[in-house]
Amino acid sequence: MNVLTSVAEVSWFILLVAAGVAALVGYLYSHFKFYARSWFFPVVLAVFPALALAVSGGLLGGYTLKLWLYFAVAEAVIAAFFRYAVKGRHTVPYLLLAPAFAGLALLLVYPFVFEIYLSFHDLKLTTIMMWKNTGELPFVGLDQFVKVFTTSPLSETTFWELLLRTLVWTFSNVFFHVLGGFILALMLNNQIRFKGLYRTLLVIPWAMPQVVAVLAMRGEFHFTNGFVNIAITKLIDKLPFLAALGLAPVQWLSDYPLLTCTLINIWLGIPFMMVVILGGLQSISSSYYDAADIDGASYFQKLRFITLPLVRPVMMPAVTLGTVWTFNNINVIYLVTGQAGGTEQADILVSALYKAAFTYNRYSYSAAFALVVFAMLFFFSVFYLKSFDAAKDER
Amino acid sequence: MATVQFKKIVKRFGDNLVLNGVDVEIQDHEFVVIVGPSGCGKTTLLRMLAGLEEISDGEIFIDKLLVNELHPSKREIAMVFQDYALYPHMTVEENMNFALRLRKLPRAEIASRVAEASNILQLNKFLKRMPKQLSGGQRQRVAIGRAIVRKPKVFLFDEPLSNLDAKLREEMRVEIAKLYQRLNATILYVTHDQVEAMTLAGRIVIMNHGIVQQVGSPIEVYRKPVNLFVAGFIGSPTMNFVPGRLTVKDGTAIFSSEHLSLPVPAFVLPQKEALEGREVVLGIRPDDVLVERPGGEKCSGRIDGVLEVCELLGHRENLYLKVGGQRLLATVEAFFNRSPGSAVGLCFNYRNMHVFDKATERRISE
Repeated sequence: MNVLTSVAEVSWFILLVAAGVAALVGYLYSHFKFYARSWFFPVVLAVFPALALAVSGGLLGGYTLKLWLYFAVAEAVIAAFFRYAVKGRHTVPYLLLAPAFAGLALLLVYPFVFEIYLSFHDLKLTTIMMWKNTGELPFVGLDQFVKVFTTSPLSETTFWELLLRTLVWTFSNVFFHVLGGFILALMLNNQIRFKGLYRTLLVIPWAMPQVVAVLAMRGEFHFTNGFVNIAITKLIDKLPFLAALGLAPVQWLSDYPLLTCTLINIWLGIPFMMVVILGGLQSISSSYYDAADIDGASYFQKLRFITLPLVRPVMMPAVTLGTVWTFNNINVIYLVTGQAGGTEQADILVSALYKAAFTYNRYSYSAAFALVVFAMLFFFSVFYLKSFDAAKDER
Repeated sequence: MATVQFKKIVKRFGDNLVLNGVDVEIQDHEFVVIVGPSGCGKTTLLRMLAGLEEISDGEIFIDKLLVNELHPSKREIAMVFQDYALYPHMTVEENMNFALRLRKLPRAEIASRVAEASNILQLNKFLKRMPKQLSGGQRQRVAIGRAIVRKPKVFLFDEPLSNLDAKLREEMRVEIAKLYQRLNATILYVTHDQVEAMTLAGRIVIMNHGIVQQVGSPIEVYRKPVNLFVAGFIGSPTMNFVPGRLTVKDGTAIFSSEHLSLPVPAFVLPQKEALEGREVVLGIRPDDVLVERPGGEKCSGRIDGVLEVCELLGHRENLYLKVGGQRLLATVEAFFNRSPGSAVGLCFNYRNMHVFDKATERRISE
């Protein structure tokens, strides 16, 4: 019987998905087919928002005027798009893109719009019940954005301290990622034995799930049982004068949490840079090096005048990506310091944001905070890619 | 300027013998072209001279100085690469003065050398451009300019024209010839194109399978190829080869193959060695197959053939003939007014006929 129930459930699910796809296709088909008719706008505006309201109302258990209004506005935008931009062309491509687009709209566009909505209202522990009961939130305008810069997301660290710390964190990480990746790539680009083996071993930190890698490394920084302190102890045993110089086991996790996070994240980030840079190195034609040899360039001159400029086009996008990833890296910080008894000394903007939202329950404040972080990264990326494009055109 | 000497040069890649005892001497101010089919080791030889390839055995001298262990930059050579190897991120000017900047020459000196080279090569307009913005021929000129500014003892050209289209290649060939007249430098030029070799060279070095086959002036290698390979490689269209056997009758050598038979006079093949029964290959260039023309005294008697195909080239015409089962190519003045399939009479010009031993492939005629 259990089997039958499962089969029925699966069939029901498949039917549901099929119905969803059919509804999507029918919806799009009507827009492709009738976009030019005079009755197009009145009919679609009458039919589709009402249908959507019926379905979502049935699911959520309420039919509000506001919800209908949202659907009507969305439908008006879509209908106008089909009438004035698509004009019945490219039917098949749009149909094929539609499922992905619907998924994106659900997973990206909706949360983003909701985040903007939250950032202009005031959702926090004291207003959340009101929101649940009435569906209304007090509108506060730009208040939340002012608060982002004036109040602290955490108990002891201010926004500006966090920003500075984040910049230091991002810069030091990306710097060592590129440096380490570059050195390893240069070494792997030589004719050496067991090259494939080294490459595989070096890529492991990157290939492992980040949570596992970080937790494993966190264990290695434990005061008594971690590899790092054990190594230091053994070293002092062998070379006692090091102890005289002040070398001793370190309380990594409580005394230097940000340094520990940085070390772990550097270890995690080097393989990606190495792979990217190695690809760049291998695409440089060896005749440039022949020419430079004849021109009399030394190893470092070749590195500076040929390798670096020619690897730059591959490296720049990777550095941009790496910067955004590091700036946004909550995994390492949270997993190393965020658990019970954790410290705030290692928090960067995004991990503070997480704590503000889910430890201190300041949802609207966090939404505004996230938008500020997003804006920073957005402008950074645009600026970076623009300047990179300019450099490329020059060539 | 300088002399270059290769002494018993050997190059091995693992078990693969690429060069097997190359001995060549290049005089001061000489334009030497190394020519051969791909894989014959000519580029490897050039790269060994440049110092880009290790020398397995043998010695290389530049100006009587042993350079085997010398770093490329210390050999005072300049090389023009097949793919130009212009640094893509530097302007034409930066490309040309890179070596001089590395040597930390005074600024004025660098500027004057670049100006001089760009005048010679008419590159003045392009100095601030990037290599990407230049055409193939212009890039080639920049690559040559980069060599000139260094005032090297020897210029090395590694198939410099093979990336250009046919028309541009002809233009650049003339440019290089002019450049040589102007610079009067020692030039070593590698190519697989025998036309480039014939037109540019003062002396040609013909290589095959890592061995020097013949060294000589263009006219020497054309008129007196030492073996079958050189005979087939030099000259266009390719020489006709007719395999057969010699017999001696009444003191005259007679060449006979399955399809044709003709006497070989003593001024072509002196009877120094035993010729009776010797397996040979007769070589005759298409120009020396005379079709429907009275031969005269230094030609063979009339041979009957059939015209298979005519190819009109403009001023000349290629005739594909068949004598029995033997195919022959003849080039004649245009227009040869016969339709394919018609019978024609032809004869061989003895003055330019070659006889090669079939077993050794070496030339045995005068």
